[in-house]
Amino acid sequence: MIKIKDANRYFYKGEEREVHALRDINLELKEGEFALLSGPSGCGKTTLLNAVGALDRIDSGEIWLDNQEIGSLSEEKRVKIRLESMGFVFQAYNLIPVLSVRENIGFIMQLRGFSQSEIDKRVKELAELLEIDKRLDSLPSTLSGGQQQRVAVARAVAAKPKIILADEPTANLDSKNSHSLMEMMRSLNEKEGVSILFASHDPYVTQSVRRIIHMSDGAIVAG
Amino acid sequence: MFSLALKNLLFYKSRSITTFFLTFMSAFFFIVYVAMMDGSHNSMLQNALKVYTGAIEIYKKGYRDLGGNEYLLDTVESIEKKLESIRGIEEFTSRYETYALLSHKEFSSAAMVAGIHPDKESHMSQLKEALKEGVYLQDEAKNSMYIGIDLAEKLHVSVGDELSFIGSTSDNSFAADLFIVCGIFQTGAYEFDSSSAFVSRKYFDELTSARNKASYITIKVKNLADVDVIADNIHKVLLDDTLEVVTWKILMKSMVEAMQVDSIFGYISMSLFFVVIFFVIMIFSYINVSSRIREFGVLRCIGLSRLDIGKILFYEIFILSSAAILLATPLGAYVAYYFSLHPIVIEGMSETYKEYGIVSDQLPFNFDMLTIMWNVGLIYILNFLSILYPLHFINSFKPIEASKHV
Repeated sequence: MIKIKDANRYFYKGEEREVHALRDINLELKEGEFALLSGPSGCGKTTLLNAVGALDRIDSGEIWLDNQEIGSLSEEKRVKIRLESMGFVFQAYNLIPVLSVRENIGFIMQLRGFSQSEIDKRVKELAELLEIDKRLDSLPSTLSGGQQQRVAVARAVAAKPKIILADEPTANLDSKNSHSLMEMMRSLNEKEGVSILFASHDPYVTQSVRRIIHMSDGAIVAG
Repeated sequence: MFSLALKNLLFYKSRSITTFFLTFMSAFFFIVYVAMMDGSHNSMLQNALKVYTGAIEIYKKGYRDLGGNEYLLDTVESIEKKLESIRGIEEFTSRYETYALLSHKEFSSAAMVAGIHPDKESHMSQLKEALKEGVYLQDEAKNSMYIGIDLAEKLHVSVGDELSFIGSTSDNSFAADLFIVCGIFQTGAYEFDSSSAFVSRKYFDELTSARNKASYITIKVKNLADVDVIADNIHKVLLDDTLEVVTWKILMKSMVEAMQVDSIFGYISMSLFFVVIFFVIMIFSYINVSSRIREFGVLRCIGLSRLDIGKILFYEIFILSSAAILLATPLGAYVAYYFSLHPIVIEGMSETYKEYGIVSDQLPFNFDMLTIMWNVGLIYILNFLSILYPLHFINSFKPIEASKHV
């Protein structure tokens, strides 16, 4: 599903290269993966996650999503890829504050033109699965951190993307909520068949995933 | 996008209320201010035209610049016959003006003495309405003189008093006669009231040998907006290169220029007001957008384009502007309409207005829907322009950077 070939990414300070953030990355992610990018801070996990998620471009190499090369697309084309093929879970939940839980979960489906009945059905189904069905009409600010992150997961998975990219999803959660979230994400991965790629160094995440990709100094060293 | 924009407005209430209030106030005050400015100009013009000056006047070339009896119109009847066929003319009359010395006892004053057709003149100007004492002139009246109140004061005369007249005739010989003051008028225009006297032409033509002659023919038109077209038609019908057809725009050039200058200063002061409003709305939009960098970053990460972000900001300002303008327009229009029917009276303004020959110190507003439409259109445009910089600012962030912005 996702194939990365010789991907390199540099960060510049002025005209000089300051950081070689990704070094000749070669990686393949298959459908239904439940994988983790692991490694110390600054090793390039988030940079690789952003590149895979079409949030950032690479300087050389290729990233293939099915049959489309997405590593060097323009921002406008990457927007379309993100909307149609990707789901994102952020460390800080990043829900839309003005929308209710129900509207947050259905937001991407709405952008993609699903009918209201499809949206309602899907929102209900996910809310029950993630145990937030009693808070559907609440605003995000009234929810606990764990509940907010579950809403973020529901939003990411609602429109059935090809892959969900989760950057440190448990970093702001306590151990109970981290464990519970990972259980739910694993359940989603199994029931819905959605691929999920994490970037994290949280032991709860490490214990839950089926594949761990170790990174160091911008390169994949194992996995 | 529209419903998200609407929810944003309801969520960020203080910013929405401030923008709404600013837009409402600027639209309301702009409508009222322009209605007042246009109204005062129209009023100045209408009043000035009502007093004595016609919308169009026909002269023999040279009369206005050089004056003198050799530049009098000498085919008045034939010109008047031609004028009858021209559409848009409501009324016309000829006037014969001469300068004379008027005396009563030991008091004397130079004055413009004009021979007029009293009945026709009553439809042309406000001379009849301006009657203060006595009676207005009659067509058949002999030796009757209708004089301005300030001239009467200078000469120490009142109704029924005798005045001696020494002037010249149209063939440059002397004319002298005695007149009785039949009436005293007051237009409010000091220059006019202190130097003008009127006599029926039937009698005055004999005294001054001015039959079929006139200083000029003055014309009242049905619609002042058509004055240029009518003047052009008159020129074509008269087919006489020795005549000139002059509109009020030239006759009252100094007043027109004064109004133009006043309008320019009015618009300059309004534009300063708009600059302030524009920047306040822009700063509010900027502050609002700055506090939502993370939110916009997330929206872009999950699949909204720059254009979509632009649409959200556009809808937000559109909803606020429309609501404010929808409320301000009928309110502003009502104020303009109300004061067009019930003009404001500004005490103490009459002295200033006298300089322009204004009879009234009333300030009627101009109620014109087209003007109101362009007023609110301008407010709309300014509001939309005010979001351009905040939009540029928010779109200058990379989505991932913005989503992590603190």
